[in-house]
Amino acid sequence: MEITTTTQDGLTMLAMNGRLDTTTAGDLEREINNQIGEGNRKILLNFTATTYISSGGMRVLLATAKKLRNNGDRFGLCCLTPEVHKVLKLAGFTSLFSIYATEGEARAGLQ
Amino acid sequence: MQLREKLVQDCSKSPLVPLAWQQVPGATQANIYPLIRKIDTISSNSYLIETPDVICLIDPGGLPDQGIQLVAAIQELRDKQKRPLVIFLTHAHVDHFLSVQHAPAATYFKDAVFVVQETGADALERGDPFLTQATMMGFTVSPIHVGLKLLSLKNPAQDGFPVTYHAENGAAITLTHHSRGCGTGLAHVDISFGSNPLITLYHTPGHSPDSISLRIGRLFFIGDVLFAANPGIAGLCGWDQKALIKSLAEIRCLTSTGDIDWICPGHGRLIAAPDAARTFEILEKEASKLENIAEFNAERAAQIAALGDDCMVAVNELFTIMSGRLGYVSYVMEELGEAGVAEEMARLIKSDVIDELLEAFRLFSEDHHSSDKVSVHLALKAGQIMGKLDRSFAKEDLVHIIDPTLVTRAEHLLSDYTTTLRGFCPPDNRCECDVNGILSTLTGDLSCSRCSDDDVLSSVDDDTAFARMLASRIGSQPLLADIELSTSFTSQGPVFVDRDIFSDLMIYLLEDLVGIGATRITLSTAQERLGTTVKIAGDTGSFVFTGDAPIKGFLLRLASRAGGVLSLQDTKGTRAYVMTFDRA
Repeated sequence: MEITTTTQDGLTMLAMNGRLDTTTAGDLEREINNQIGEGNRKILLNFTATTYISSGGMRVLLATAKKLRNNGDRFGLCCLTPEVHKVLKLAGFTSLFSIYATEGEARAGLQ
Repeated sequence: MQLREKLVQDCSKSPLVPLAWQQVPGATQANIYPLIRKIDTISSNSYLIETPDVICLIDPGGLPDQGIQLVAAIQELRDKQKRPLVIFLTHAHVDHFLSVQHAPAATYFKDAVFVVQETGADALERGDPFLTQATMMGFTVSPIHVGLKLLSLKNPAQDGFPVTYHAENGAAITLTHHSRGCGTGLAHVDISFGSNPLITLYHTPGHSPDSISLRIGRLFFIGDVLFAANPGIAGLCGWDQKALIKSLAEIRCLTSTGDIDWICPGHGRLIAAPDAARTFEILEKEASKLENIAEFNAERAAQIAALGDDCMVAVNELFTIMSGRLGYVSYVMEELGEAGVAEEMARLIKSDVIDELLEAFRLFSEDHHSSDKVSVHLALKAGQIMGKLDRSFAKEDLVHIIDPTLVTRAEHLLSDYTTTLRGFCPPDNRCECDVNGILSTLTGDLSCSRCSDDDVLSSVDDDTAFARMLASRIGSQPLLADIELSTSFTSQGPVFVDRDIFSDLMIYLLEDLVGIGATRITLSTAQERLGTTVKIAGDTGSFVFTGDAPIKGFLLRLASRAGGVLSLQDTKGTRAYVMTFDRA
C-alpha cells in the first residue's frame, strides 16, 4: 500500500492506495504516529483508492481517535469506497468518526 | 533457512533426528534416515532404512528435489557397501511415489525393486490416473513395474510358509504370509532380507485399497491412515469407509500392545504410541459418521474450490465486521471507564489471527488463480482456513454482545463449507412457507434493540451485570434502527422456501443496502404470473452505481439454496435486489 502525505492549511491528509490489511495497517499507523509526533494533530485519511479494510486497519482508526481528542485536534475520514463504508458502518464505526463524502467537505469540516 | 534447519525445527518433538542416520529402536543392525516434511498435499515423508543386506526406502515422496536428496543419501550408503534397493509404498498415491519418475533421480531408481500391495501394484503398472490420484493432483504418471506384489486378494499366499523372492537387482526377500492371527485380524506378512526378520507388513485398507502399514522394530509406519477421515481426503477414489474403520481398530490394537513406541505417519512428525492410540479412537468415530459421502474427484474438487472462493468473500466480510464491532464495543467501554470489560470483550475474538488467516487465503487464492493449478489445493486450503477461523471466536459469548445474526451466519458459512468438503450436502429444509410472515418477523427483529431500556435499568444495581448489559447494547445496534423502512406485502399463498437460508439472505441484502449508506429501504412482495417476487430497494446514499454490478457468488448460491433466483438492479440513486420464487 502506498501512503501519500500532504499538509495544507494545517490539515495533514494521508491518501492510501491499496488494501489496508494485516500487513499494511502497521505502515499507516507508523505514518500517522510520525505526523502526530511532528505536531500535525489535524489528520484526514483519504480512502479514495482503498477497497479493503481489515480489523487491523480498523484498530488503527480507533487508536488514532484515542490519540487525537485534545482541544483543537481533528480526525476524519473521507472518500470511502462502498466496500470500506459498508464494513465501517456495520462495525459501528461511522458513529465514532467524522466521515465526509468528498475531500472538499472534509477540509471544510475539519477546520 | 536451509532445508536441514527447517526440518530440525519442524521435528523438534520427534524422537528421530531428521536427515541423519540413527539406529531403529528395537531392531538389530537396522538404521533409519528420516526425511520428515511439514504437512502438505504434494509430497509425503520418506524413510530410508539400511541393514547389512539391503537398503529400504518407504515412500520416495512426490517432489523432484526429494528424489535427488534420497538418491544422494542412498549413493553414500552404496559407496560404503553395495546393496540392493527395495522401495515400499504405503500406498500408490502420487504424493508418495512421483519423485521416482522425475529426472535425474528416475534413472537411479530404475534398478530398485518396488514392493506394493497388489491393488496398488496393478494401478501402478497400468498407470491408473484415478487410483494414484494423478488426475486429482494434476499430474501424469507413467506405468511403473512392481517387482513384488504383496497381500493378494485374488490369490492369497499360503499361510506360514516362508517363500524367498530373488529380485533382478540381487535382493533376496523372504516372505511369510499370515491371513490373520498374531493378535490381529489384519492380513500381514513377515519380511526378511537376511537371516533376521526385519519388517512386518500389514494390509490396512480404507484410505486406499492398497494401504499398508509397516512395523520395523518399535517403529510403525502407517502411511496416511491418520488423515483418512479428513474433509477432502475421505471420499478419494478407492476410499472405503468400512475398511477404514476396521483398519483403524486393528491399528489401534497394535499400537496399544506396548511393542510400538512411535508412529511414523506419511505426513508430518512422529507421534508417541499412546497419543496415537487415542487419535485412532477418535478417528474411528469420525470415520463412522462418513456413510454415503460423495466421491471426492477432480470435478467435485473444482466445484468445491469455487464454493470456497465464494464463501471466503462472505467469511472475510463477516469476520472483519465482527472484529470491528467488538473493537468498537471495547473502545466505547474503555471510554466509559470500564477497562476490565473492554479487555474481556477484546478476548472474545482473535482479531490478529483472523486477519492473518484471511490474508493467507487471499494470497493463496491469488497465486492459485494466477497459475494453472489443480482445484483440490484451493478446496483444501479453504477448508483448513475455515477450520481455524471456526476456532478463533467465542461464539457462545459473542452472541450476547454483538448482533447474533453475524455470529450465526458466520457459523452457517463455515459449517456448510465443511459439510460440503466432507462429501455431504448442506441441509435443505425447503418447505411451504409464508414469506410475508418471515419478512415481518425479520424486519421487526432487525429494528428493535435486543436490550431494552428496562433491561438496562434493571441491571444498575449489579456493576458486572450493568457493564455487560451496556456492552451488549452498544454491540448490538439494530441493523434497521436508523432506516426509514416501508413495506408492501401483496403476495398470496405459500412459497417453497428454506426459511433459515432465506432469512440469512435477506439480512445479507439489507446489510448491503445499509452498508452503502441507504437511509430509506422499501421491502415488498408481489404475486407475479409465474410465482412470487420479493424486492428490497434502497437509496445508495452518496454512492452512485452505474450499470448493474455483478452479484457476489455466495449470494447467488444462497438464493438458490433458499429456493429462488436473485437479481440486482442498479439505477441512479437506487439499488434493488429482486428474489423470484416459482409457484409452490
